[in-house]
Amino acid sequence: MLIPRRVKHRKQHHPNRDGMSKGGNELAFGEYGIQAVTPAYVTNRQIESARIAITRHIRRGGKVWINIYPDRPLTKKPAETRMGSGKGSPEWWVANVKPGRVMFELSFPNEKVAKEALTRAAHKLPMKCRIVRREAGES
Amino acid sequence: MSEVKITAESRSDFGKGAARRTRRAGRVPAVVYGHGGDPVHVSLPGHELMMALKTANVLISLDVDGKSELVIPKAVQKHPVRRSLEHVDLLVVKRGEKVSVEIPVNIEGELAPGGNLIEHVLNALPVEAEATHIPESVSVSVEGLEAGASILAKDITLPKNTSLAVDDDTVVIQIVSAQAEAPAEDAETEEPAADAAAEEPAEA
Repeated sequence: MLIPRRVKHRKQHHPNRDGMSKGGNELAFGEYGIQAVTPAYVTNRQIESARIAITRHIRRGGKVWINIYPDRPLTKKPAETRMGSGKGSPEWWVANVKPGRVMFELSFPNEKVAKEALTRAAHKLPMKCRIVRREAGES
Repeated sequence: MSEVKITAESRSDFGKGAARRTRRAGRVPAVVYGHGGDPVHVSLPGHELMMALKTANVLISLDVDGKSELVIPKAVQKHPVRRSLEHVDLLVVKRGEKVSVEIPVNIEGELAPGGNLIEHVLNALPVEAEATHIPESVSVSVEGLEAGASILAKDITLPKNTSLAVDDDTVVIQIVSAQAEAPAEDAETEEPAADAAAEEPAEA
């Protein structure tokens, strides 16, 4: 699973969820991709789960790119704890994904199988997604 | 390449408020510049512009307040989710002038059997061409290629009066062997160790 090797601050504020994605809104590598339509925090477990869904469906003969990285820690206080006594301990690693971001890309010769694989992966993700395809002549 | 005629209106209101009013009226804010002249701020009809931009590097004959200019799109900003046009930069060109543009690369033919993949190292090829004769795309044949083969910029046949704007040895297309499937057990066995690591990230 994706985890940063070293971080500057172990406990951070919650990432800002406003606005649209500033970059990574187009397909850069593959023929097909999953684009986020609503904002969400995507955990490293969800990214891994989506990746496995794609690779198991296409079996072999494809290439997968993951364009997001879970570099923000979220903390949680233990259950039944009184308020105070400092911030909780890191519990999840998330990628702050905003609408428009192409999160996964796939190259695969068969369009039907590629779209099925990406639909399966989209079901593992916490936001509304759509499948995008590189158009002919698109630069 | 044929010219597309679009009538533009010059605009004097700037900022996000004015730009949003322009977009609500079905028009797209744009700026026209080039050849050392002052930039001209205009608005263009949204649908006509969208249809014109379906062709890469389309040559537009822009009519601004009765004055006609030839322009090509330099930068196109789109809404990340709706994909509608937000703003366009248009570059003034002259007939016979050479311009640097990127043209899409189209693939033709079938690879040799073996489940290999085509990797686009360059999705668009930078070339220098006459402004009024910019090729719409270039075609590359991958017929019968095996894994490990690559197509360099110099291997691509360019139309007349068009030259490469990159090194001859720049890789454009690579044929790669397919990724091996990750073993099914990998994810399950890795998880506990990864979770433990998540608890205590090293702090710089």
